[in-house]
Amino acid sequence: MGELASYHLSDLILFSQSTYFRLFELYNQAVWPVHLLAISFACLIVYAFWKKPAWSGRSIAAILVVSWSWVAVAFLYQRFYQIHVVANVYATGFIVQALLMLWYGVLKNRLIDFSKSKMRIKAGSVLLILSLCVYPLIAVISGRSWMQFEMFALAPDPTALVTVAVFMFFKLPVILYVIPVLWLVISAVTLSAM
Amino acid sequence: MKDQNTQSRRRFLKFIACGAGSLLSPRFINAATSPIITKTIPSSNEKIPAIGLGSSRTFNVGNDSQALDNVAEVMRHFFIAGGSLIDSSPMYGSSQPAIGYGLNKLGKNSDVFAADKVWTWNTDLGSGQMEKSRKYWNIDAFDLMQVHNLVEWEEHLELLKKMKKRGEIRYIGITTSHGRQHDELAEIMKTQPLDFVQFSYNIIDREVEEKLLPLAREHGIATIINRPFQRGDLIDELEDKPLPSWAAQIGCENWSQFLLKFVVSHPDVTCTIPATSQVAHIKENMLACYGKLPDQAMRTRMIEYVEKII
Repeated sequence: MGELASYHLSDLILFSQSTYFRLFELYNQAVWPVHLLAISFACLIVYAFWKKPAWSGRSIAAILVVSWSWVAVAFLYQRFYQIHVVANVYATGFIVQALLMLWYGVLKNRLIDFSKSKMRIKAGSVLLILSLCVYPLIAVISGRSWMQFEMFALAPDPTALVTVAVFMFFKLPVILYVIPVLWLVISAVTLSAM
Repeated sequence: MKDQNTQSRRRFLKFIACGAGSLLSPRFINAATSPIITKTIPSSNEKIPAIGLGSSRTFNVGNDSQALDNVAEVMRHFFIAGGSLIDSSPMYGSSQPAIGYGLNKLGKNSDVFAADKVWTWNTDLGSGQMEKSRKYWNIDAFDLMQVHNLVEWEEHLELLKKMKKRGEIRYIGITTSHGRQHDELAEIMKTQPLDFVQFSYNIIDREVEEKLLPLAREHGIATIINRPFQRGDLIDELEDKPLPSWAAQIGCENWSQFLLKFVVSHPDVTCTIPATSQVAHIKENMLACYGKLPDQAMRTRMIEYVEKII
């Protein structure tokens, strides 16, 4: 495996930017109307933070579990893996994150201890709104087809961003942040190397 | 690679009829009346066109039917212009199935000079990987099989030697890119019975002129050159710069032809494999495989000019 170190990052990004974004267009066409479920997930998360009902922590965790699992299978493995030889590894990482949240948030019901830091809550709120409402508009804003939009629960980047935003509302162990943050770094580097 | 020279002029005239009409300048017509530029594979004396087709990035389009049709269209113009060698790798995502799609659509499965690679750190998987690649291409056999980027080359190369002996492949080779691992590659070239070697070379990155190209000549190894455009960076840098008027002397009407003619005019270069996903670009690229090639004095002038403006 020593030769692997001789690769530059750009050597491993063997698809074009247009192919990558077109993947989202075809994906969005293929999975419609799952978007309606994704929108209802987003609304449910916002409602849970707004009203803070007793079921909020477990429900949010369950939504994140479903979202990470869906993205792992439907996007990363079934579609991104067609053009990127390591996307199956990414898919595995997303499944691991889903299992972590299933264990911690759903089975243990630990998403109940809200952060006392106003700064964290504010930052989390801003990130949540940007990820849910603004991120899907990036395709149009950058002059691409609107059909190439990426939204929470369906695409990896907004899903990871929403997850980090949600985590900021709670006191949570660092391990839960590792995969979402790592993914955001990988994605940023990939986009810059394309 | 069948009857390349005898059919090249007919193919080229068909190329004109199939949409390259906008390129009908006097220089283009002169090119059309000349045979396609071929180079000889030293180990067999077989001739192949000096410009082939790479598939890294550009043919990795997944199962996007629109993009697959575009790949087939690029391949169609490549074949019409007399092209033959297409190069791919399991590393290139869905490029191999895309090539297979194009070959099936064009009915060119038996005409292509099929060059692929074995790329796995688990040497037990090499044989299965090559068979999977062959099925993707939907061809009877690969003409050339190469060890990709020297990955586990000792064991893979032994397998390739056996496959060649059994007649399952015609040529064997080894590849690298980006100027990596040249010392190790040189040692392999000295000690192994290679038919082909592949590495990067372009008008800016000329390190291989010192060692690898002379070594290939000395040991009778054909050379395939990847990244003649520095993966597009050279074209991006040069596209706004003026093409020198004297480029017309060697039939160059644009930078891609200028850069390709520079590469294939090196006497020890057998073939270069620019990749593209655009029909207009494959037409431009293939025109560089016709007409005059620069001599050594012109090559020096080309280097000096590019280094001055870049």
